[in-house]
Amino acid sequence: MRTRNFTFSVSGLLAATLVAGCGGMPGQAGAGSDEVYGRLRGLAGTEQRAQAEELAGKEGKTLSLYTSMTADIATPIAEAFEKEYGIRVSVFRGNSETVLQRTLQEQEAGRPGADVIETNFAEMAILAGKGHLADYNGSALDKVEPAGKFDHWTATRFNVFQPAWNTTKIKPGDEPRSWEDLALPKYRGKITMEISDSDWYENVTKYWLDHGKSQAEVDTLWKGIAANSKVAKGHTTMMQFLTAGQTSMEAMNYTYITARAAKDGAPVTHLPASGVSTVPAFARPNGVGMIKGAQHPAAAWLFYDWLLTGGQQTLVDLGLTPSTKVPGDKSVAGLTLVPFDVEGLTKDDTVWDKKYDALLRGADTVGR
Amino acid sequence: MALASTATAPQGGQGTPGTGASPEPASPGRFAGLLRRLLSFQGLLVGGAVVIVGYLALVPLGYLIHDTFLNSTGTGVSFGAFSRAYGGNSQAGSMMLNSLGFALGSAALALVLGTVLAYIQVRTDTPFKGLFFAASLVPLIVPGILYATSWIFLGDPSSGVINTLIFQPLFGTAPVNIFSVWGMIWVQGLHLAPVTFLLMVAAFRAMDPSLEESAAMSGARRLTVLRRITVPLLRPAMISASLLMFVQSLESFEVPGLLGLQNGIYVFTSRIYFVLRAYPIDYGAAGALAIGLLVIAAAGVLLSGWLQRSSRNFQTVTGKAFRPRPVDLGRARPWVGAGVIVYFLVTVVLPVAVLVYASLLKYYAAPSRKTLSSMSLENYSEVLHMPLAFTALKNSLIVGIGAATAVMLLTSIVSWVVLRTRAPGRRVLDLLAFTPIVIPGLVLGLALSFVYLRMPLPIYGTLLILLVSYCTRYLPYGMRYSSAAMAQMSPELEESAAVSGASWFQTFRRVLLPLMSSGILAGWVYILVVSFRELSSTILLYSPGKEVLSVLIWEQFENGQFTTLAALGVCMVLILVLLVSIAYRLGARFGLQGDSSN
Repeated sequence: MRTRNFTFSVSGLLAATLVAGCGGMPGQAGAGSDEVYGRLRGLAGTEQRAQAEELAGKEGKTLSLYTSMTADIATPIAEAFEKEYGIRVSVFRGNSETVLQRTLQEQEAGRPGADVIETNFAEMAILAGKGHLADYNGSALDKVEPAGKFDHWTATRFNVFQPAWNTTKIKPGDEPRSWEDLALPKYRGKITMEISDSDWYENVTKYWLDHGKSQAEVDTLWKGIAANSKVAKGHTTMMQFLTAGQTSMEAMNYTYITARAAKDGAPVTHLPASGVSTVPAFARPNGVGMIKGAQHPAAAWLFYDWLLTGGQQTLVDLGLTPSTKVPGDKSVAGLTLVPFDVEGLTKDDTVWDKKYDALLRGADTVGR
Repeated sequence: MALASTATAPQGGQGTPGTGASPEPASPGRFAGLLRRLLSFQGLLVGGAVVIVGYLALVPLGYLIHDTFLNSTGTGVSFGAFSRAYGGNSQAGSMMLNSLGFALGSAALALVLGTVLAYIQVRTDTPFKGLFFAASLVPLIVPGILYATSWIFLGDPSSGVINTLIFQPLFGTAPVNIFSVWGMIWVQGLHLAPVTFLLMVAAFRAMDPSLEESAAMSGARRLTVLRRITVPLLRPAMISASLLMFVQSLESFEVPGLLGLQNGIYVFTSRIYFVLRAYPIDYGAAGALAIGLLVIAAAGVLLSGWLQRSSRNFQTVTGKAFRPRPVDLGRARPWVGAGVIVYFLVTVVLPVAVLVYASLLKYYAAPSRKTLSSMSLENYSEVLHMPLAFTALKNSLIVGIGAATAVMLLTSIVSWVVLRTRAPGRRVLDLLAFTPIVIPGLVLGLALSFVYLRMPLPIYGTLLILLVSYCTRYLPYGMRYSSAAMAQMSPELEESAAVSGASWFQTFRRVLLPLMSSGILAGWVYILVVSFRELSSTILLYSPGKEVLSVLIWEQFENGQFTTLAALGVCMVLILVLLVSIAYRLGARFGLQGDSSN
């Protein structure tokens, strides 16, 4: 009696798991995408664009873009592209990890939802490494500097790392002149560090080691910076508290976030009163890639091409740092740009994540 | 069918809850009888609900367990994930202590506040009852990230308004520090108090005051009645509420993220957040942390089951009619009224005022002549001109109302199975329905996209996947609300209905559901409100053109537009307060006892 009852209540649950486990729908990947990408690659540079436009028309003039651009940037970008080619763009926005996770899930299930991806360098490198991106060989690449060219994807814009501070709290003359300055005792309790900035941590460490510091000196500097600092989550949240004067200085924020708040009239900046910063500015690439198996490969090709040509101007108009030379671009004015260490971060990312995490968790015990 | 045998109804008869499996010997006839019962309407309904609930809970749990225990080569079982999550320099001990302290403190604060408020609301003749109800829910409606941010602007040790405008001038000190465990407990406790409030209002309404009256007539003083009669009678609801809030505090990240990190107060969820951010994501370590949460939560469920073991004692809804009579506060009335007003000043007016103030600025700055002169309604016009605002509102309403309705219907049936039958595995079912509460949102999103990307049903990429996600996520809450209501119901009502010839379904629909309506409505309102905020799984599962409000909020937040976000938050508070009021008006029509009639 009991056994039978048990069998029935369990078999219900089993049936449920079965429903969950089965499935295995045949892939809906656009089978013709490889052919379209191949056809475009085989054409001369001058003919590619016209051919892509013609094919995009046959695809139905739509494009699916997955991006980590914030809405106030993604929307004008999508509109400018629509205006240029008459192709309707549907945009999925998420933070870079979400874009990566969603794309991987869909690619592994054989149901690509995106035609083209635009996100941070680390996530682009992973997608390229897993073989989900198709190659582009159009003429737009000629204008991109070598530092912006990667296997299977291309940089479209840069996020520049600089300290940021509230000008009512940090007076002229008191601003940091180097990353080392962040360890000065005068900044005790005034600095905020972001919980996920391990790529910044890696770049500064490498820069210091490359410029004659010993590992022991580097460690002491980081301990000093951590001792001066509190920890926060999210660059935009931090900027919120910086503009309100709740905090005085941020060890690192992206210059475009600081510039955007300053444009609204908030008393924040990443440049000293002189207008020239001597703090080495690392520029982290964000890039674009075409998805293998995309439903609208020709439209993806056009977007890739456009974002490196006409789209660059739109990026500049929005206050971002473009990956090509664009007249009127003032986003890096006054900055001392240095190379971003792509190699070190692609190699063993989690090592730096773990080291940075340990440094921050030590932050609360040192100096308090 | 096993699910049809009840604990208390000995009588036989076709179609009653007490049918039971008759002890006939095994034969083809017996099998046919079983099949007939299984295929009966009751069998299909109850079995279907059990299967759906089991399915909803098992999908993410299976995904989580698979990732946690599978070793790196994918061939065998491994416990390496646990050493990665808890070993080495992870400071797991202090993290667990922080987590437990924070969760216990918040749950205790919320329990006391919510219960006292509910008592005043339902059982006394306090003034401002109407205002009271809507305002009690506001802390729940304000998105967590806004509520915590408001409190930072209020309670920062150096520049918070409370310190600079109240304590500094009056007492010369600045004692309030929101960036401490106490600050975290304060904000989380206030944020959660509405959950208790909703549960306890339902419980108070379903409580027969005749026991209290008898005690009073026998000479017991008011305090004795409260201590010996009222509080013990409410045990199921109070246990449910404590359990929910304890576990919810364990798995919440907004408050620990915004307030705790500053001074290095790490909890389970901040570790999970960190693990899920790195790439390649160590799902194993994240899963190991989530399983740590799960063990604590499971212990909570078992403990609450044990505390409610003598369930008969709490059943105050019996065949006898009753009409809860409000306590005459007498001379205390103005004092209680004043207390109510102070409470709302602190928990509702202060934070919402910060939001309204921020929503009128271009960027947040402490109040000064300059900021006051630059105020404008620009942010509101921006909200109204957001191209997606109305689509998102519509989608949020569809998914929120859908999830709330589905979850409450399912859980009212399943709670009947758990509390009223002796079906084997009913405790497992109860536990299973509770597990989604500890599954990190991102893992839930991954599990669902994994399953539905491989299913030939048009679910992935539509609003349906959000509905599935919300149903899963809020199943535990629905379960607590339903079973707290069910526990107050005496089985004699079902028995009399059955004796009068009602079928099981008639009994369920005409007797049980109406009597549980107070609890069900409370759960429904709770799920509707929190589903408007759900982001962690939504952000992975939504599709372009199918945005919901929480995605819009996240976008504004990412854009760094705190002031626009504040305006959006203010609009949300207004819309949800309106919706909740309508829900309760409608509820009153369908036999829900209103408090105004008392």
